[in-house]
Amino acid sequence: MHEDLVQIINQAVPEAKAVLNKAEVGDSSISINAETIYKVCETLKKNDKYEFNVLQVISGTDYLPEGEEGYLELAYILASFTKNHEVIIKTKLPRGTDSNLPKIDSLCGLWRAANWQERETYDMIGVEFVGHPDLRRILTSSNWEGHPLRKDYKVQEIFNGMVVNPPGKMNLGDQQFGVKSNADSLSNKKPMGL
Amino acid sequence: MAFDLTNEEKAESPYGDEEKIKSNILTVNMGPQHPATHGVLRVEIKTDSEIVTEAIPHIGYLHRCFEKHAENIDYRGIIPFVDRMDYIGAMNMEHGWCLAVEKLLGTEVPRRAEYIRVLVAELQRVASHLMFFGTYSIDLGAFTPFLYAFQEREFILRIFEEISGARLLYNYIWIGGVWNDVTDDQLNRISSFCDNMEDEIDKYHNLVGLNKIFVERTARVGVMDKEMCYDYGLTGPILRSAGVKWDLRKDRPYSIYPEFDFDVPVGTGEQGTVGDCWDRYWVRMREMKESLKIIRQVLEGIEAGPVMGKVSKIIKPPKSEIYVRTECPRGELGYYLIADGGKIPYRVKVKSSCFTHVSALPAVAPGQMIADLVATIGSIDIVLGEVDR
Repeated sequence: MHEDLVQIINQAVPEAKAVLNKAEVGDSSISINAETIYKVCETLKKNDKYEFNVLQVISGTDYLPEGEEGYLELAYILASFTKNHEVIIKTKLPRGTDSNLPKIDSLCGLWRAANWQERETYDMIGVEFVGHPDLRRILTSSNWEGHPLRKDYKVQEIFNGMVVNPPGKMNLGDQQFGVKSNADSLSNKKPMGL
Repeated sequence: MAFDLTNEEKAESPYGDEEKIKSNILTVNMGPQHPATHGVLRVEIKTDSEIVTEAIPHIGYLHRCFEKHAENIDYRGIIPFVDRMDYIGAMNMEHGWCLAVEKLLGTEVPRRAEYIRVLVAELQRVASHLMFFGTYSIDLGAFTPFLYAFQEREFILRIFEEISGARLLYNYIWIGGVWNDVTDDQLNRISSFCDNMEDEIDKYHNLVGLNKIFVERTARVGVMDKEMCYDYGLTGPILRSAGVKWDLRKDRPYSIYPEFDFDVPVGTGEQGTVGDCWDRYWVRMREMKESLKIIRQVLEGIEAGPVMGKVSKIIKPPKSEIYVRTECPRGELGYYLIADGGKIPYRVKVKSSCFTHVSALPAVAPGQMIADLVATIGSIDIVLGEVDR
């Protein structure tokens, strides 16, 4: 199915440069050019053979290898409830800066489901969706700083006049995300269960 | 929206043109502490007298950033966290997560464990739908059905407590199987519960579902049709009540569901239009019966054997990614898991059904009475723990 989809995408939108990421374990995915996301999704939605009529997920992942610039990867999971299949469409974006977030076209014109999914991605990962009617934070407060699911995210120290992590807080080490030693300390602990 | 009277209206008005009748849009906050929002959902509604002109849901009051937590704990440690998303359907949440990790690991789950998983997942579905039935009746002003429903739900929670040690957040389904076996005595009690429950469902339906007041409050209210479901990605009982025969247990089978014989109830618009609140209620009631059917087949077919497969002590899935969908009581749950070959996941994204369902609220609310909006929110059956994650 994936090879066929890559062909369909490349035929309809040649500038998408769709590539198949074949996986031996887990799910395969299709990588495309970020600028063409709207056209590609439109093609897939209107394709009679596959009919991807539901947008399931818009998810972002932050890749930040040490010493490199890193990039964001957006995954759009489309499903067809009439033909019964699903596909993961991936696209890469630069990480940008807080004042200049990476931009990608909004899919709100294709699915109304995109509205909240994109708001969540904006909130959590920090991607600006161009053409979104109401791009506000959704899960965190409107005056929250930063995008929590970025790998280099640090919780702000003071929020609305309250200290977020006071010094006497219990298990402070466990709760501070982004602290590298936290993940390493797992190796010293015994595995759970059994 | 102030408006001026026409000359004819002025002539008829007892106040003359001195006093202009004004109609203003009033903004009301429904929630976050409101019994009808089932948790901490705030709906900002703009009302023109009793008619809702706009409804804007505000969520995030229960946000714990599960996805960030998941990037900091190992695969087994995440199970208690997924419990806390949909705390009414915790078993189903665990089931989905374990399936995702097992698929990456290639773990084989023993037959008995698969049977027990289906058993607890279906019992949980019944418990969750009972919760819906009880709280929905309260939303519509009937208190007694709530007590009926909780009586039966109590049995399920007690059984869960016996087999898992907890009443609400179980941590029972583990990667590779389940951590505790069930006894024959417990299975016998579940069997007699099934017999009892079947009659109870009929009783509830006669008592509440066919009640004239209930029908008037729910039929033709909050209609979500097929096109809207696809547009918003609505799933589960909402999609089925819109007349679409779609159930992941049938259409994309996981676990050992293909071995069981059960129907997928769909809405037919018996009391009003297809996809109204009454249809959603009726689909859930019939789903409970189908769940009981599955439980009976589990009780017949369950085999002796181990309940835990072979899993290495440290779980390290290869570098890969997977998207797993399961059918939860409230709709489709999806885990998009990216593993980087280490002990902790690189990224976990949860496709929560409740989140998508709340997002459709602004589309159904305009034009409804406030009381009908309460009926609509109740009928989509949300758990805010899963909306906010």
